[in-house]
Amino acid sequence: MRKKIAILLLFVSTAVAADLSGKWSGTFRAAGADHDVPQLFILKQDGSKLSGSGGPDASEQYPIENPRVDDDKVAFEITTGEWKFRYHLKVSGPHLTGDLELTSADSRRTAKVALNKVN
Amino acid sequence: MILAGTGSIIEFEPELDRAFHARLSYVRAEKDPLSLAEIGDAVSRKFGGEPIVAYFLSAKPDLSWQVALPSGIAYVNQYTGEILGERSRGETFLGFVRDVHMRLGGGELGGGVLKWSTVAMLFSLASGLYLWWPKKQIGIRWMSRRRGLWADLHNSVGVVSFLPLILLAATGVMLGFERQLAPVIYRATSSRPVTVTRSPVAVPQAGALAITPDQAVAIARNLVPDATPYRVQMPKYGGVYQVALSDSHGGVADDRNDVALDPYGNVVSVMKSNALTRGDRVLMVNEAIHTGSMWGVPTRVVALLATIAAIMQVLSGLAMWMYRRKIVAGSVVSLEATS
Repeated sequence: MRKKIAILLLFVSTAVAADLSGKWSGTFRAAGADHDVPQLFILKQDGSKLSGSGGPDASEQYPIENPRVDDDKVAFEITTGEWKFRYHLKVSGPHLTGDLELTSADSRRTAKVALNKVN
Repeated sequence: MILAGTGSIIEFEPELDRAFHARLSYVRAEKDPLSLAEIGDAVSRKFGGEPIVAYFLSAKPDLSWQVALPSGIAYVNQYTGEILGERSRGETFLGFVRDVHMRLGGGELGGGVLKWSTVAMLFSLASGLYLWWPKKQIGIRWMSRRRGLWADLHNSVGVVSFLPLILLAATGVMLGFERQLAPVIYRATSSRPVTVTRSPVAVPQAGALAITPDQAVAIARNLVPDATPYRVQMPKYGGVYQVALSDSHGGVADDRNDVALDPYGNVVSVMKSNALTRGDRVLMVNEAIHTGSMWGVPTRVVALLATIAAIMQVLSGLAMWMYRRKIVAGSVVSLEATS
C-alpha cells in the first residue's frame, strides 16, 4: 500500500512540476519607475538543473547564473555589466511571477516581474 | 530642502565616491596601460576564473580601471595589473542620497511627491519674484530687527540665485515628467528618438577565430575616429562586444557613441553621437543643465551654490513666517489686554 502511495505521489508531483524549458516573455517595473522593461528568457530545464539566458529581447541575451529550482520556486541571476539582476519567481502553469532585485555598484532597487510562456 | 540637500551632495558624486574609496580609485599615471586581455587574465586569475562581464576605462590617466565580474566590481591598476580591491554591488551612501533625490528613497509615492515638489518650487520662485518686484530690495540692512534681517536675506539670496534656481526647477520638472513631455519635445522639434539598426549576429562557425577585447576596441576606434573608449562589454554578456566611446565634439552627447561587434569582429551596429536627433539633444541638454555637467566644473559649482541658496531660502522663509506668527500672536494678546 505504501509503495502504491509513494508511486502515486511521485506521479502527481511530476505532473504538477512545470517544465521551464522554452521561451518566457514579459516585463518588469522597478519600484518608483513609470515604465515597464521588456524581458525575454530562453530556458532549458533538465530535472532540477536549469540553464539558459535572458535579457530585454532576443538580440540581447545574458547567461543565467546560480540557477535554483525548488518545487514551484525558481531563482537565478543575470549580470549585465553595471547591474546584477536577482530573480525570485514562482511558476504557476504558463506564468512565472515574482520579485526582482537590481543592484549596481552603488544602488539597489526592487521590481515585480511577470512572464508568460511563449512556446 | 530634501531636493536641495541631496542635490548639493550628488553634484559632486564622482569626486566624493573616489574620496570615499581613494585606495581603489587612484593609481600613479604611467605611459602605456596593459592590454585588456592582460588585465582580464589578471582579474580572472585573482577571482577564481570568474568570467569578465565588462571593462570600464577611466577618463584620466591617474584613475584606476574597473572590471565587472558576476560577483562584483574589481579595481585594477591598468599599468601593472595589480588588483586594488573589489566592491560588491549594493546600495552605498551616495546611491542612497541619489535615490532620495529622485524617489525619496524608493517607491512610486516618493517619486510622485518629489516630481510635484519641483512644480511647487517653480510656483514658489515665480511668487517670490512677484513679491520682490515692487520694492526690489537687495542687500542686508544690519541695523533692522531680526525679522527684517531674515527678510533682507531672503530677498537678496532669492534674487541673486533666481536664475540658477529656476533653471534647476524647470529642468527638474522636465526630468520628473520626461515620459509625458518627451513626445511634446519630439513633436516641437519635428524629430523622433534615434534608432539603431542592428545586423543579425553571425552564427558561430567551426574554426572561426574570435577576436580579443583589444581587437574589438581597435575596430570601434576605426569606426568612430578621434573617440576614446570608456566601456567594453564582453560578448558572453549580451551576445556581442559593445564598445562605448566618448568624443570631444559631441557636446552634451559626447559619450553616446556605441559600436556593437559579434565575437568574430563583424559590425552589428554603430551609433554615433552626431546621429542623435534634435529632440534627443534637447532632452540631453535639459539633463546636463540640471546636473550641472553642461560646461564642466564651473557649472557644477554654480549648481552647488544654487542648491545651498535653496536651503537658505527655505530656512529664511521659515524664520520670517515664525516671526510673523509671533507678531500676530503678540498683537492679539495686547488687544485682549486693552479691551
